[in-house]
Amino acid sequence: MLPAAGQTIVDGARPDIEELYDRATGGEAQSEGIWETATTTLYRPVVEIPRSERHLFKYFVDGSTKTYFIGTILEQQRSSPVQLAQVGAAGIQRDIDGGLHTVDVRHQIVLLLDKSALSEDLWEQLQLTASGVENLLVRSTSEEDEYTAIGGNEPRARGAHKANWLMREAELDIARKHRPGRSSDDWLVADGSVGNEYLDWDGPPLIGVAKTFRRDSRFVIGTGPRAKTLNLYGLLASLDEGHRTAVFPRRREGRSQLIAFWYVRLRPQRQLDYPLMGVVKVEIPCPDGSPVESELADTISGALVAERSVTPHGRDSRWHAHLYPVWIAERVIRDSFYSDEVLKAAIRWPEPDERGRAA
Amino acid sequence: MGDEAAQGRESRTAHLGRASATEHDSNSAEEFTFWTRPGARVNPFDIVEAEHLADSSTYGLITNIYHSTDAASHLSNFISNDFGELLGEPNTPRQGTNVAKASVLSNSSDIYMPVQSEARVAFANEDGIHRALGIDTMSEKEEREGRKLRVPAGLIQMSNGEGAIAYLDADYVLGPESAHVNVSGISGLATKTSYMTFLIQSTLQTLNAEDIAVILLNVKFDDLLHIHEARELQHDEKAIWARLGLNAEPFSNVHYILPWGQDSQRTGRPNSFGTPPADCQLYAYPLEYTAARLDLLLSQVPDPADTLGAMRGEVMQGLGQQPRESRWQGVSSWHDFLRGPPLFKDGQAQRVGNVQANSVGRFLRLMRRVVSTRQSGVFVDQLSSRQTTIENEIGELQGGHTYVVDVARLTPDEQTLVFGDVLRTVYGLYAGDSPLDERELPSKVIVFVDELNKYAPAHARGMETPILDQVLDIAERGRSFGIVLFSAQQFLSAVHPRVIGNSATNVLGRTDSAELSDRAYRFLATDIRGHLTRLNKGELLLSHPIYRQPVKVRFPVPAYRLGS
Repeated sequence: MLPAAGQTIVDGARPDIEELYDRATGGEAQSEGIWETATTTLYRPVVEIPRSERHLFKYFVDGSTKTYFIGTILEQQRSSPVQLAQVGAAGIQRDIDGGLHTVDVRHQIVLLLDKSALSEDLWEQLQLTASGVENLLVRSTSEEDEYTAIGGNEPRARGAHKANWLMREAELDIARKHRPGRSSDDWLVADGSVGNEYLDWDGPPLIGVAKTFRRDSRFVIGTGPRAKTLNLYGLLASLDEGHRTAVFPRRREGRSQLIAFWYVRLRPQRQLDYPLMGVVKVEIPCPDGSPVESELADTISGALVAERSVTPHGRDSRWHAHLYPVWIAERVIRDSFYSDEVLKAAIRWPEPDERGRAA
Repeated sequence: MGDEAAQGRESRTAHLGRASATEHDSNSAEEFTFWTRPGARVNPFDIVEAEHLADSSTYGLITNIYHSTDAASHLSNFISNDFGELLGEPNTPRQGTNVAKASVLSNSSDIYMPVQSEARVAFANEDGIHRALGIDTMSEKEEREGRKLRVPAGLIQMSNGEGAIAYLDADYVLGPESAHVNVSGISGLATKTSYMTFLIQSTLQTLNAEDIAVILLNVKFDDLLHIHEARELQHDEKAIWARLGLNAEPFSNVHYILPWGQDSQRTGRPNSFGTPPADCQLYAYPLEYTAARLDLLLSQVPDPADTLGAMRGEVMQGLGQQPRESRWQGVSSWHDFLRGPPLFKDGQAQRVGNVQANSVGRFLRLMRRVVSTRQSGVFVDQLSSRQTTIENEIGELQGGHTYVVDVARLTPDEQTLVFGDVLRTVYGLYAGDSPLDERELPSKVIVFVDELNKYAPAHARGMETPILDQVLDIAERGRSFGIVLFSAQQFLSAVHPRVIGNSATNVLGRTDSAELSDRAYRFLATDIRGHLTRLNKGELLLSHPIYRQPVKVRFPVPAYRLGS
């Protein structure tokens, strides 16, 4: 039995959302074969490539949400929880000297209700009213999207997922918006799994770097009677610092495009207390479906190893696998959010009627 | 569009940063914090201007600068370097900023609400610096009253190369509002004497010099024995004088009053260091003259039962009374006084009046040590035509003239006597107690003394001396008579607090940290105190009643020939 990261942790009602999405978008847990041009080894050493030597990662995109349950709306016999979410995404550019600056920040307030539980009239009235408020969206938690199932059936959980989905859309929009002007050497790093939104990505180079990822992955290496299957722990147990695993494919049924992924260990395990700590999962769109050049995977991995300095240690429990510019992007987003106090103060409640009930 | 962009760029480069108030570190009416943009350089004592409410500006003096990052702890930085492996340059330098704290000096519209967060901050220009310090009110006062009162006291130079003249209000230097100036700092580094002579020259050149007399005590070598001789200045040295609006010139109308020495009778030269000025007067202390000043001579001797006091009374009466009593008629020299009747007979001390013989004996032992055994030659039996007294010279005080009294080669007891004599003479002139002819006196007299701690020590309780009383009198009441004390010492903590407390203008040079822990420095903010240990030679901190905070100034090198 492996201890939880950081020893025993309080388990919330839902586990890490990045892990959830990785599982939701990753399709089958089992990955067949190695998807790179050099297929002979399961592990490859990488040469660290610091920024001063080759400045590969110039853009970083991240998103963040904060969802509040503010009450329940009652319409005769109908009711729906009402949630308010702050959805944000930011794009950070890093200059040749390492300096960071913000190139894009998105901040949206979203009102989330279950449209299926309310009347059309009420819903239309809500939409009309919201249209007069700058930066306020109204979204239904019952509106289906590709990953609605993540939210389950509970309306509030679906609301949190909806907010998260809007965040991912904002991230994708930023990535798309900042395609012009980027050369083939101006890589963009998106935080987390790229999901399936980037399957047909045709822009300048982009990778997703996930700090946490599904744990149920299995890898079938080889074919025929000599094929062997490894689980994630088995695969990563032998992954040394400064090394990467082979590249694996993640396919989506009915699509020729695929996402290739592999794992890189950024830090020596001896200083960390959990075998998955210090490991990131790298995902890269392969719109043409062809295997990844092994040299390219080495280069990307070498540049990632160099990103281990500096760390947000002390500020984020995931510091060991968190890229600092991505953490900065997260801070930019959080700083653009209203504080809880301001948000709560902005919510106007109806005056009670003569019987003391809310109108 | 291009002009706006250019203006925007100019605005961005002209401003240092923006004010920053946080949840745990708010701005207040007393101070504000601002972050600086990358590449901006500021230093403690720079004066900045922050945009404020109602289009006003708040001026602040930078007291400290911090570098802040998002590292949670030093451990985070250690871990970021691969657990102490000291990696090369990080891929992404940790986000950090320099944050400066500024103490509020003033607001252009008297609005003392805290500087709001995000207010733009820039270096103050010369006008802004003057408004910040309150010097603009001096200009208004000058115009209103039709007289000069802004005395240049040094140059404020800021990190952006801008500077401004720091002015003192003459009403707070020479009175009547308040008076006196004190300077302290480590010897050799604080340039105390040079600053004081500069300030005196600035005062004379700015105000009506004809109305001001200056008395300087030379305590070290021949530092002040050539102040009438010009010195060749470098171009940059002259530039500072010019920038201050002052003439780089030596003192004029200088009178040198130098001590008689053991060899003076033979050589005709004073007991002074170096080559004495050609035109000087030699002072000495003859018996009768000294007898009237015995309290000054023996001021450092503990006398709890006042037996020496009683003895002094007997002597002053005996030698001062005209005609003298018969037993004193034979006393015409120091030898007669110390070894003859009425004090000494047949090899023994004698009872005199109510003073017992053993007390007289103690008195004689003290006097012999001071005026005979260890004297420098300044004590003489009678004044000759080549000698004068302090009272005679200082008694002729004229406005527009400078009197240098040399005590450098005197013994400590003699120095105390001379200093006390100078003060008593001046005080007597201005307080109307002087036996000298009444005449028109200059409205102000500046007396400069170094090593003030010798005459007005801090821990003098129970050991009050006539000298201390004199100094306290001048410190507390002198300004009403027109007597202004310019004083200096190495350690502010070593000087009597009532003297320092009455000194309206305090100037501080480089000081060590042990000294700064003394409560004498409590008038300085903690951050500012720390900076005193790092002042360079020629840099001083100027505290003046008009200023809300002390400012750092530089001053020009003396334009007179320095001592050997």
